[in-house]
Amino acid sequence: MTPTIDLELILYITALGLISIGLAGVVLSQHLFRMVLALVIAEAGANLMLVLAGYRWDAVAPILTSLGEHPQMVDPVPQAMVLTAIVIGVGIQALAVSILIRIRQRFGTLDRHEVAAHMDAEIAQIAGTSRDMSQESPLGERPLPPLPGTPAASREGRS
Amino acid sequence: MNSMVVLPLVLPLFGAFLLPIIMRASVGVGLWVGPAILLYGCWILGNQWISGTAMPFSLAIGGFAPPMGINLYVDSLALLFALAVQLLGLIFWPFKLDPETARRQALMLLLVAASTGLALSGDLFNLYVFYELVAVATFGLISASSTGSAYAATIRYLILSGIGSVLTLLGIALIYSQTGTLNLAHLAQLAPEQLNNKLGLTAFLSILIGVGVKAELFPVNTWVPEVYATAASRVSAFLAGLVSKLALLIILRLLVLIFHQQEAIQVMLFLGILGVVSGELAAWRAKDMRRMLAFSSIGQLGMIFIALSIPDQAGLLAVLALSFHHLLVKSGLFMLADGWGGAIENLRGAAKRSPLAAIVFILFSLSLIGMPPLPGFWAKFTLITELAAQTSPLYLIGLAVFLLATVIEAAYLFRLAALLYRPVSEEKPIDTIPKPAGVSLVSASLFGVGLLAAALFITPVGELLNHVAGQAANAELYIDTVLAGTGGGR
Repeated sequence: MTPTIDLELILYITALGLISIGLAGVVLSQHLFRMVLALVIAEAGANLMLVLAGYRWDAVAPILTSLGEHPQMVDPVPQAMVLTAIVIGVGIQALAVSILIRIRQRFGTLDRHEVAAHMDAEIAQIAGTSRDMSQESPLGERPLPPLPGTPAASREGRS
Repeated sequence: MNSMVVLPLVLPLFGAFLLPIIMRASVGVGLWVGPAILLYGCWILGNQWISGTAMPFSLAIGGFAPPMGINLYVDSLALLFALAVQLLGLIFWPFKLDPETARRQALMLLLVAASTGLALSGDLFNLYVFYELVAVATFGLISASSTGSAYAATIRYLILSGIGSVLTLLGIALIYSQTGTLNLAHLAQLAPEQLNNKLGLTAFLSILIGVGVKAELFPVNTWVPEVYATAASRVSAFLAGLVSKLALLIILRLLVLIFHQQEAIQVMLFLGILGVVSGELAAWRAKDMRRMLAFSSIGQLGMIFIALSIPDQAGLLAVLALSFHHLLVKSGLFMLADGWGGAIENLRGAAKRSPLAAIVFILFSLSLIGMPPLPGFWAKFTLITELAAQTSPLYLIGLAVFLLATVIEAAYLFRLAALLYRPVSEEKPIDTIPKPAGVSLVSASLFGVGLLAAALFITPVGELLNHVAGQAANAELYIDTVLAGTGGGR
């Protein structure tokens, strides 16, 4: 009996691990296509979690009703739900990739920061304002004037 | 009669798939299909509203009784939202004629069908499916403006929304593994014993963050300014006005029926406060109108989350009042932004160019801030009295932030209003000042008229909302209605 319990634990850890890997991938990737792939991994984890939610180790597949000696059946509801979730996921991923193709055609890049910069610039241009905020040109005045007698060269030398 | 309620959900769904084919055969017929379906939906739901708001009923779909099968739950709250979906679908109907018309209208019908489903469904997984349908339709509508920035905003929204659906799915899996059911009424029965623990809390929080992507909840709302700045104003208005409220409706049902833990409520209150602070401050700094409205919408949704953290009847009344008020005002403002979308500085003297638009804008601003005769005052007043009645210090922080946010709101809205009435500079001809297009101005005025009507009939409207809130807050009624009435209603 113990090995089956261990297997279940491993599967639960796998599911949570896949979700964590996926979420970390979305946050850490620099490339939009990799972000979409990371999302696919996270979804696989969530689907595995859902299958595990209704699985029974001492039961048969719910279509094998003719086996008289096995009255216990695996809960079919989560499996149906996982099918739905997989279909939805595939649809959304296809949509994502098609949008990625369009972005690549317009901006010529799929790097996350470059696309964001292009997008901000275009929004600002359409609205007719200056760029709202960016890391290269932060908004507003310097809070303190630069100290006298510390030219840029000496600061670079220190760091 | 009761089973007719399915039609406003099913007909737009059929229409969405048939519309491109009909359009190919005859454009003249195709243009009328969508509005006709929506009008019929309004008529059915309106009839239902008049004939039977007293008792909620449940409708089993597919011939299985509720704990096993999927059911629609129709109470006055669900009816109100479903009616709002159909009406706003009509008002924001994308009638513009070009080669993309068929696709855009099909997506709009899909959005309406899925949103109606969100309002009516009584099953957690069913809600998830409709939620994803809403997401897909939204992605299509946002990227329909086919600029590079619209595609970029869509993919960023899509990725965030994907994270949201993974978290929602995780929450659903946790709930199912604990209880073995996803019917909301059945869950409500089992919740006090089986979900009143750490696992239930985890499930709720992951669903809260997952669904919160659409409800513009604080940490997962980075898509809001980009999307509202790049999408067509009608789409932004529909998203900000209605879709965010439908996501809220899911959280409201979960809170009332299933999750009563103090920690869950506190997390939501905390995120709501952060949303108000970040949204309002960003709106104050925004330099173009669309972004200002987008950030202000984050702030307003934060206020509704603060109200949602008082899950009794009075709190729900505040939630409903704030939601419907925000729906009217923000939809109207986004319609105005259709012509005024650019930088705020360009709007100097715009009141001379189109006086009506300026007046409507002032009306919306006053109501948003909470000037006494307008409905916004009553909505905010309900929330303030409720917050002041609570003893926990976090609620008092919420109250302070709420009042502070109102001041910031006044600052940025009045700054724009003053700019509208500034005299026009000499060298600039008056024709160059932007002006809302005729159709959007008419729709904006329509929302303005609605707002004024609500102000005039504030007592009956308040009583109605109170009744709706009372019905929504009654978990026993929900359980009894769904699990007792097995067949096609009563």
